[in-house]
Amino acid sequence: MSSGVWIAGGGVISGIGMNLSECITAFEKMQPGMQEMKYLESIHRKTYPVAEVKAGNDLLASIAAESIYWSRTALLSKIAAKEAWQNSGLSEISAYKVGFVSASTVGGMDRTEYFMEEYLHDNSRGRLRNAIYHDCGSITDLVAESLGIEDFISTISTACSSGANALMYASRLIQSKMLDVVIAGGADSLTRFTLNGFNALMILDQEPCKPFDENRKGLNLGEGAAYLVLVSDRLAEKLQPWCRLSGFANANDAFHQTASSPEGIGNFMAMKRALEKAGIKPEDIDYINLHGTGTANNDSSEAQAILNLFGNTPPPLSSTKSFTGHTLAASGALEAVFSAYAIKEGIIFPNAHFATPMSNFAISPVTSFLKGKNLEHVMSNSFGFGGNCSSLIFSKDY
Amino acid sequence: MSLYITSAVIIRNQTVRKNGSVAFQSSETNVHLFLRAIYDYLEVSYTRFHKMDALNKLGWAAAEFLLQEIESGFVDKESAGIVLANKSSSLDTDERFLESTKSVASPALFVYTLPNIVLGEICIRHGLKGENTFFVTPNFDITFMHDYTEQLFESEAVNACIIGWAEQYHEQYEAAFYLVQKSSMGLQEPFTIKALEKLYE
Repeated sequence: MSSGVWIAGGGVISGIGMNLSECITAFEKMQPGMQEMKYLESIHRKTYPVAEVKAGNDLLASIAAESIYWSRTALLSKIAAKEAWQNSGLSEISAYKVGFVSASTVGGMDRTEYFMEEYLHDNSRGRLRNAIYHDCGSITDLVAESLGIEDFISTISTACSSGANALMYASRLIQSKMLDVVIAGGADSLTRFTLNGFNALMILDQEPCKPFDENRKGLNLGEGAAYLVLVSDRLAEKLQPWCRLSGFANANDAFHQTASSPEGIGNFMAMKRALEKAGIKPEDIDYINLHGTGTANNDSSEAQAILNLFGNTPPPLSSTKSFTGHTLAASGALEAVFSAYAIKEGIIFPNAHFATPMSNFAISPVTSFLKGKNLEHVMSNSFGFGGNCSSLIFSKDY
Repeated sequence: MSLYITSAVIIRNQTVRKNGSVAFQSSETNVHLFLRAIYDYLEVSYTRFHKMDALNKLGWAAAEFLLQEIESGFVDKESAGIVLANKSSSLDTDERFLESTKSVASPALFVYTLPNIVLGEICIRHGLKGENTFFVTPNFDITFMHDYTEQLFESEAVNACIIGWAEQYHEQYEAAFYLVQKSSMGLQEPFTIKALEKLYE
């Protein structure tokens, strides 16, 4: 690789913790975040468990030091981005040429839903302040402005691989020397729109999801935000980076809009090309953070693609969505933070609720929190609707 | 690195222009009927078309014209990428999905409530498996698109790439698709900001 891209720090807020250290503790204590809906108002409250961030907008606003009229997505975004910056070891944002690349699929739709309730009833009613941040880009702009980022701002929306794609994009911005630092990741809050949509697709589990289990019945939705701080070689020299983003690739499965091909062609190609870019072989990977949604289709395609690429003895693997739920555009970012942190700390995350291996695939996830591991290379997979498949590789120090 | 625009398609005002010349024109002012007229004109049998929302039909139609005659020229479809942008994301279908939730939420509509689904439709149609991304920007930023594409080629992420703009909201629509390749074939236009702008005019 021409020039390196390093991970200086990361931050996360999710259904299992308000910051990175709380999330890691939840993995260690085997405490998944799925519960009955408390903050989202929906007729499905009793039917589908979700992994909500355990705080109302008032509390989030006070943590973020922002208005309670901000979209929940923006509040989550600011909290995680700020944490990422704070533990990067960098000084003030104004001291560097900084970019902000954020992924989202719902943007400020959480507030638009409040607006529409009144507006649909009587179209002379509804507070416009609830609708102005509807689009994904306005959430990125809002948070960038609040953080004081001006040099480069971009939003990526490619379904459930958005967060991973934001990191790929950020990596290129650094490699091309356009920027010194990029805060990259994603944020999505729970909305009725997404809950109803995934319910319409009939891929929600009424119990806590069981990724890679023979008896998996679907996914649980979650919400959250996560960001990594990516820096150039020059800045990394003065910091203690966690690891390097050494490889990434994106491919299209070109099969179906909401289903993966049975062989996981796109998944395979994304993983294979990411390895090529990192200049390593499949056997060099020490842990795979799966896309692992818990749907019948995703997990079988992903398992097949992994067996095709890694042979019959794949590295340890697990789906952290069994804790955080599927956080959509944020998921690739959450899992990138967990993967990069896994290298730094030598840990492997458990896959919750796993009981029975899939009958067609000789592949079983890790089920307990492992410490004291020497991880050289970690792969993180993210696959999205539209056939959009991405894979990232984090490496220790070369 | 030498890159070329090997094909270009602009769809606006009931007209399809390919490589600068009018390829199809219709009197249909309604966006759905206009796109249906394109489908009929192309005389292809592709039943998926009828399931798509208007944005996806627009992207599908632009890609059909774009790749006509040149599709066989793709050396490696596995590394042919797509980078598109628009300003209204999937808002048109988002509204229709929301409407459907009043009775029974429609899975057929929900699928199209993401802007990148149009990338998926084009990949499925033409078997393209390279890198994809979709940007939502206030206007068609040709300079950005040019620089981004150049970088994709330089980092060897793609060997060929469809780039452009696919915008639709209610009755307004516009598509501007370009095929960028490493060899000078088809339109044979060097890949410059100026050339992209001229073709977009």
